Amino acid sequence: MSKRECIAMLLAGGQGSRLGVLTKEVAKPAVSFGGKYRIIDFALSNCANSGIDTVGVLTQYRPYLLHNYLGSGSAWNLDESEGGLFILPPYATQTGGAWYAGTADAVTQNLGFIKQNDPEYVLILSGDQLYNMDYQKMLDNHKRHNADLTIAVMPVPWEEASRFGILTTDEDEKILKFTEKPAEPDSNLASMGIYIFNADLLVKTLEEDAEDENSEHDFGKDIIPKLLAAGKRLYTYEYNGFWRDVGTIASYHETSMDLLGTKPDFDLFDTEAPIMSNAGAMPPAYVGPDATVDDCLVGNGSSIYGKAVHSIVSTGAVVGEGAVVQDSVLLPGSEVKAGAHVVRAILGENSVVEAEATLGSSDQSVDIAVIGNDAVVAKEAE
Amino acid sequence: MEKLLGVITANYSTKYPSVLSETRPVASLPYLGRYRVVDFALSNMVNAGIRTVGMIMPYNYRSLIDHIGSGRDWDLNRKKGGLFILPGSAFGTSRTGSRFLLRDLEYNKVFLKRSDAEHVILSSASFVYNMDYDKLIEAHKASGADITVVTQPAKGKDADVTGLSVDGTRVHGIKHGVERGEVSFLDCFVIGREFLLQLLNWYEQTDYLDLFEAMAADYERVNVQTYDFEGYVAPIFNKDNYFKSNMDMLDPKISAELFPAGRTIKTKAHDNAPAKFETGSRVSNSRVSGSCRIKGTVSNSILGRNVVVETGAIVNNSIVMQSCVIKTGARVENAIVDRDNVVPAGTELKGTPEAPFIKEKASVE
Repeated sequence: MSKRECIAMLLAGGQGSRLGVLTKEVAKPAVSFGGKYRIIDFALSNCANSGIDTVGVLTQYRPYLLHNYLGSGSAWNLDESEGGLFILPPYATQTGGAWYAGTADAVTQNLGFIKQNDPEYVLILSGDQLYNMDYQKMLDNHKRHNADLTIAVMPVPWEEASRFGILTTDEDEKILKFTEKPAEPDSNLASMGIYIFNADLLVKTLEEDAEDENSEHDFGKDIIPKLLAAGKRLYTYEYNGFWRDVGTIASYHETSMDLLGTKPDFDLFDTEAPIMSNAGAMPPAYVGPDATVDDCLVGNGSSIYGKAVHSIVSTGAVVGEGAVVQDSVLLPGSEVKAGAHVVRAILGENSVVEAEATLGSSDQSVDIAVIGNDAVVAKEAE
Repeated sequence: MEKLLGVITANYSTKYPSVLSETRPVASLPYLGRYRVVDFALSNMVNAGIRTVGMIMPYNYRSLIDHIGSGRDWDLNRKKGGLFILPGSAFGTSRTGSRFLLRDLEYNKVFLKRSDAEHVILSSASFVYNMDYDKLIEAHKASGADITVVTQPAKGKDADVTGLSVDGTRVHGIKHGVERGEVSFLDCFVIGREFLLQLLNWYEQTDYLDLFEAMAADYERVNVQTYDFEGYVAPIFNKDNYFKSNMDMLDPKISAELFPAGRTIKTKAHDNAPAKFETGSRVSNSRVSGSCRIKGTVSNSILGRNVVVETGAIVNNSIVMQSCVIKTGARVENAIVDRDNVVPAGTELKGTPEAPFIKEKASVE
């Protein structure tokens, strides 16, 4: 991909409110995932692995940890002298300025950034999805169709199609219809919220949409229907790999568990397109003399003295002697002290389950237990 | 903050041409799965706020340059200061004695002259320890010494560690090798920058010598004081202490001394996945690095990055370096397996606890 042919706008301002305590203090893209990553690593790594070297990251909700984590972008090879990673938070103007009011509005408020870079194409991404995609292939598809807008789609089970924004296409991937959560879907191709726009059209459309008082300034609700109605060339790009938007505690837990097993759905060990992260240097994991570790992902700096089964033990987490951790996710720096029992639970960063305490239930009908960052679970009184 | 300059003499090999260091200087020997020996000297300097470090390179610098790059992982990619790659001697670097050949310093006088730092900390890259240099500087200033050397009482006989003859804390000479209880020189010292330049002028005619040898006749007029470091120290001079110091990290109390909270040992970052412990794996008392995949049995061992231990394979009391594959039914015991080796199914690599078997680095095809 030649320089500036395509730049990315990465929407990372969302709260992820349904993740509850996990996003109490951090934006969803900064939530830890997979033992050593943060959710935004996946989109940023995809950019880097696809040769996109100019990425604007639009932040808003609780940005401190996210900004701190992004730094110069060097962890994703995005510290380029001509390009690189740009953090784009809401800003004040002579007339007051405003928060980002919708996905399209966030980009509209940063049209200056797009114009300054003057690319041919703009890739719009969400910073809270987990997948491994080569955007170059999507761009090739966009060019092949001579499209104005290409939307990445993935086939979903028909019975679930009414939960998604569904795209109906002809045989040549041309989009005929876009329906948000159709009651009776006539297609099972769901929008992934990943778009490639011809830059000129994007700028023009967003400028017009900004003047539209009836618009919610959302790509799905407003921009796509407008372009379809205007007879523009909208095409799909079908993606068939692993893709998750971990919107809820239950789906966060389920997706984490998808990383386990002999042949996991999502391969973190892909060396062609590695997921990069801004991880600190910690010693290799230590497994104690009496430990049992069965079907687990284990991060650097962690120590396991007790038993960990079908779980993710992230960077610097500790499983104490005689403790049992099962079907759980221990986020970085969390500690399960001696004799404690943790099952089907998510432990926030640097949280503690005190000795002999219990958390979670193996009863599948009970919700996944979750404690926030720095939380402490004490032993229940006898 | 005290203005300090750092110099690391990374151009030393061992006098025992073991297969581990035949192709590498000691500085770039892998340590504890993910580190290289040089990480300790570099991190000690950076953790003390030093942002200008000169590294004197060995002739076989490929692996070392590969590791340190621009110095970014140690915050040494800087506009002002940063990491300076300095030329070093090719000969005399596997000799016994301390590791500060005068000609190496002489070659790089310009680096010392251009600095405006008051003090210089010099360290070899042949020891593993995590030290707070601030305390060393404080002691140096408080005593008014010309040179303060970092020392520790020897825990046993070691022919490769430089010994110091002392009267109290005053150094009177150096010798090759130490006996238990004698004063070991940990190849690290602090000196006034201008005084170091003055010494280089004094000894210009004898630059084939080590600085501390050259001073032999001058210990009465140069005030060299010892500073005892109390933490964990491992000299890396031969395969025995290399093996032992790695294995020491299986004791969490000892590893906590080397990796204390707040003084991180920095190293080259890699994008490794977390280690994967598959169902059926049995791992005990071991250190496992990122991107390892374990299906077999691992005990009392240290695995480097990206090591695969297949079903039914056994690794015991061994160091397995990065990207090795231990195939089904293979057995590795009391061994050091250098990087990129595939141990075929059903085969055995076996040494004794006293004399670990060494499998050299697999060649790159």
